[in-house]
Formats: sequence, structure tokens, C-alpha cells
Amino acid sequence: MNTADKISELEKKAKAIRNSILDTIVCANKGHIGGSFSCTDVLVALYYGGFLRYEVSDPENSDRDRLILSKGHSCAALYSVLADLGFISHDKLKEFCQDGTDLGGHPDRSIPGIEADTGSLGHGLGIGAGLALSAKLNKKDFMTVVLLGDGECYEGSVWEAANFASHYKLNNLTAIVDRNGQCVTDFIQECNDLEPFADKWKAFGWEVRNINGHSFKDLLGVFSDFRSRDSQKPLMIIADTVKGKGVSFMERKIPWHHSVPKGKDLETARGELKT
Amino acid sequence: MNVKNETAISQVDIRDAFFEEVYSIASKDSDVMFLTADMGAFSLKKLKENFKKQYVNLGVAEQNLVSVGAGLTLGGKKVFLYAIAAFMTQRCFEQIKIDLCYMDLPVVIIGAGPGITYSTDGPTHYAVEDIAIMRSLPNIVIFNPSDSTMAKAAAGIAYKSKKPFYVRIDRGNYPLLYKSGYDFSGGVELLKEGRDLLIISTGAMVHRAIEVARRLKDYSIDAGVVDLYRIKPLNKERLLSFIDKTSRLVTLEEHTLSGGIGSIVSELLADSNRHISFKRFGLCPQDYRGWGSREWMRKSQGLDVEGLCEAIRK
Repeated sequence: MNTADKISELEKKAKAIRNSILDTIVCANKGHIGGSFSCTDVLVALYYGGFLRYEVSDPENSDRDRLILSKGHSCAALYSVLADLGFISHDKLKEFCQDGTDLGGHPDRSIPGIEADTGSLGHGLGIGAGLALSAKLNKKDFMTVVLLGDGECYEGSVWEAANFASHYKLNNLTAIVDRNGQCVTDFIQECNDLEPFADKWKAFGWEVRNINGHSFKDLLGVFSDFRSRDSQKPLMIIADTVKGKGVSFMERKIPWHHSVPKGKDLETARGELKT
Repeated sequence: MNVKNETAISQVDIRDAFFEEVYSIASKDSDVMFLTADMGAFSLKKLKENFKKQYVNLGVAEQNLVSVGAGLTLGGKKVFLYAIAAFMTQRCFEQIKIDLCYMDLPVVIIGAGPGITYSTDGPTHYAVEDIAIMRSLPNIVIFNPSDSTMAKAAAGIAYKSKKPFYVRIDRGNYPLLYKSGYDFSGGVELLKEGRDLLIISTGAMVHRAIEVARRLKDYSIDAGVVDLYRIKPLNKERLLSFIDKTSRLVTLEEHTLSGGIGSIVSELLADSNRHISFKRFGLCPQDYRGWGSREWMRKSQGLDVEGLCEAIRK
């Protein structure tokens, strides 16, 4: 498959996943839709672009790559991917946030394909650093990927882990920040600006790459060597994204952190995601 | 009784006994990782020098200490975490809660200096809420050695634990209470029988309980002493079997009265419908701040031998 065809396939897949996220959240009448849509393309690139190593029939295979969704509130996106790949059933998504389910509003590692319990922000990068260090010590070649939110980077523990990962030269660790520029109640630039964001990570000893997190051309390019970089540094990918991406009235709008579309809004959302 | 009656002070510091055993375990199992938030100990120097790859000092970053420990465990390592007890349990409480306890990972959490061990360093360095906090978490085991025989055994028990394991490690030389090879699976031991009164204590305060029991003889009170060394999970049956043989009960701890072993025993009595004369001694939750020697601190809280005897006789 040439690159153009691959990109077209991935775009199609991303659309299907966004529809699945919408259905899942609407069915539950709960969930974090904005941040799920902003990281959808990153997840699709990782799981369907040939980058992540996983085995659906053997989710705990010791050679699998480990993806930690540190911004755990976006789990509707990851669950939709896991259901599409067959780690969990499609029907399972209908249990999302229902009484007695294990498919709650934040990830639990009892679910096949989930590596860590996350939901409280600022834990994933440290856990990922520990996993990456264990791989180095055990001479295993699996990669560890941690997906963070930019609002999550207010947590000091993120920077504790950032320092540690570069000191231990964890070049088998890749972190991606879903840089949608929003936290729950505000725009990051306005409430407590994180800039110069890339420089901060560079200063902490990371190789930093900036991409458009909705461009599969960028995503295919940035992950192409993530397993075989020459650098000793851990890799930070800052993916500029749009919160609520794919549904025009949700894009960059504060209320859509965790609102659920209803009535005409839902019709519009479905319409935009079908085309 | 499979315990020692001698009062000779052990030649081995309780902390060194623990870490010597950790060293021995780490030297035989290359999957053991020792992570410290810049906290040292005499025996750890050897570990750092001889097993460089198994020793990580990641600096005073307790949150990251726990999360990295969780990640290493997910990657197949057996992890020991080490920091001052106050910081080890409280700065990173949420990481312990989620990354270790909710995920039920068998990580060993070593808290140095429980209670008011670091008395002159002041309230920032006291670990007098740690039992209350840690025991609220699911899955975790809490172990509180009272002598160097138990401290040594605790390292092995922690190593073999399939659960998150919090061990409080005091420092100093204490009389040996247990014979080498003692089986610590019971969680609680009757160290001294007593007809009139039973004192339940834990950790270093067990020695204070023994001193008090001895002194109470002068007042014709025959007091027994129980060492509650595994605080969680509580061996309720065994503890009740000791309690049921007495008519008067006292708990003694170097921990705030909010949520420590006094609370644990209260809950046990309430839940098992036991009606017994009962008094708790520990640190007043409103008023334990201060700086001074450990003994001065204890006295200021009424936890000196005379103060306790007087309070018990009332």
C-alpha cells in the first residue's frame, strides 16, 4: 500500500472510531468526548499504522508494546480501538459506565489491552518509565508509549518522571502529549500557560518532535523510527490537536470536555462524522 | 512461649537487621530492585556498590519513586521502595493507592523512622498518621517489627509477599523479644501473660509496654503484653483469644489516636461484641507537635513509664 492509500485507510478508520466513541458515550450518557476525539488520530496511527506490537489473542504477551493512557478520561477512544481490534467485544462498549461494569469512565487493567489503572493525572509517565527501565534491565525490546494530556502536565509528578527518564536514557520510552490546549474549565494559554512547552521537555533531556496530531502524514512520519532511533533520549511527541475534533460545534469549546450531545446536537454530530 | 525472656540489648540495630537481610535477598535474586528517594542506611552502601544495576536513587521524588516502582513490577521486577516513613506514605499517598494497592502489585514500601523516631527534626518528619492512612487502603499488608529478629524476618516476608507490603522500620538497638527462626505468620504474639490487665502495643512501643508491665508489679498489678506486629490484615481470632483472657485492656502506640492500633482494637471489640474495660494511649491528635528527644516527646504526651503507670492505675 502506498502512503496516500494508507493515509486514506487510517482516516476512514479514525472516522469509524469517532463514531464508536460517540455511540459509546451517548449510550452511557456519560464520558469525556472532547479529549477522546482529540487523541483519536494518535491512537489510530499507533494501533493501525503498523507501529505498536500487540497480539489480540494473547493480550499479555511479554513482548508486546505497552501503551499507557495516562489521560485516562479519554478511555472511550481507547476502548473503541480495543473493541474494533477484538480485545473486547463491540457489545461490551454498551456496558460503558453501566452498573457493575469493568468498563468504567477510566481504564482498569482487568480489561484486555489496558496496561495500568489511570484516571488520576500524572501517574502514567512514571509507570511508563519503570516499565521502560525493566525492559532495559531484562534486555527486552518492547516499547513503552505513554499518552498524556497537556492539562495533565500541570502535575509535578510528570516532571519528576521526565527527569528520571532522561537520566536513565530511556530511549525505549515514547511520550505523546495530546496538546489540545484545554483543560476542564479553561484554555491552558489563559489559565496557566505551559509555554515554552517544547523547550521545557528539551531542557529535561528529551528529544522533542512537534506534529499536527490530526495529520496522518505527520503521524506516520513521526512514528516511523520510534523503535529504532539512534538517540539515547526518550522521545516526546507534542501532537497539536483540537479538543472535540470532528464535530464542528464541539471543537475548541469548553463545555465539550464531558458533555453528552442530545437531540439536534446529536443529529448534527452523527451527520458530520458520517461524511 | 516461643519468645525470649531476656532483657539484653541486641547488638544489631533494628534497621541494620532489616537491610542486611534485604542485601542478602538482593544478592541472590537479580530481579530485586531497590529504589530510594535519597534515603541511606549503613547496609545499603554495600548494595549500591556491589549491585549497581539493582540500586536506584531517584532523588527526593516520592511520587515518581512509587510510579516507577509500579512500572518495574509490571515489567517483572521485585521492587523495594525506601524513604522516610512520613514522606513515603503521605507525599505519594495517591500513587500508593492507585499504582500499588488498586493494581494490587507486590511492591515493598519501607518507611524509615515510624512514629517520632525523628523527634528533633520535628513534626514534618514524624510518621504518626501512617498506620491510619495506609490501613484504609485495599490489599496492603502493614508490618511493624519490634526487634531485630523480626526486622530481619520482615525482609523475607516482604520479599515473598504477593501483596503491596508496608513495613515500618525503626532504628536503634532494642532488647531481643523473639528467638531466631520464630514463625511470624501469626501476626500477633503474647509476650507476657498477666492476670489483671493486657497491654497491646506495636513496634518500638512494645518495649515501653514491657517496661510499664514490669513497673505495674510494684503496684500489685499483674499486666500482660501483646505485640501486634502485623497490623493489617489483622489476625482477629488470635488477638481475641488473648483479649478474652483478660478483664482490662490497654493499647499503647506512638501514633495519633485517630486511626492507629487503638482504633483497630476498638473496632474489633465493637464488631465482635466484646464488653471490656478499655483505654487507649497514644499521641493526642491535636497536640503532638514539638521538638525534642524522643523520650522528652513521649513524656510530654504522657507516654513515659511513670505517666502511663499513673494513668493506668486511675
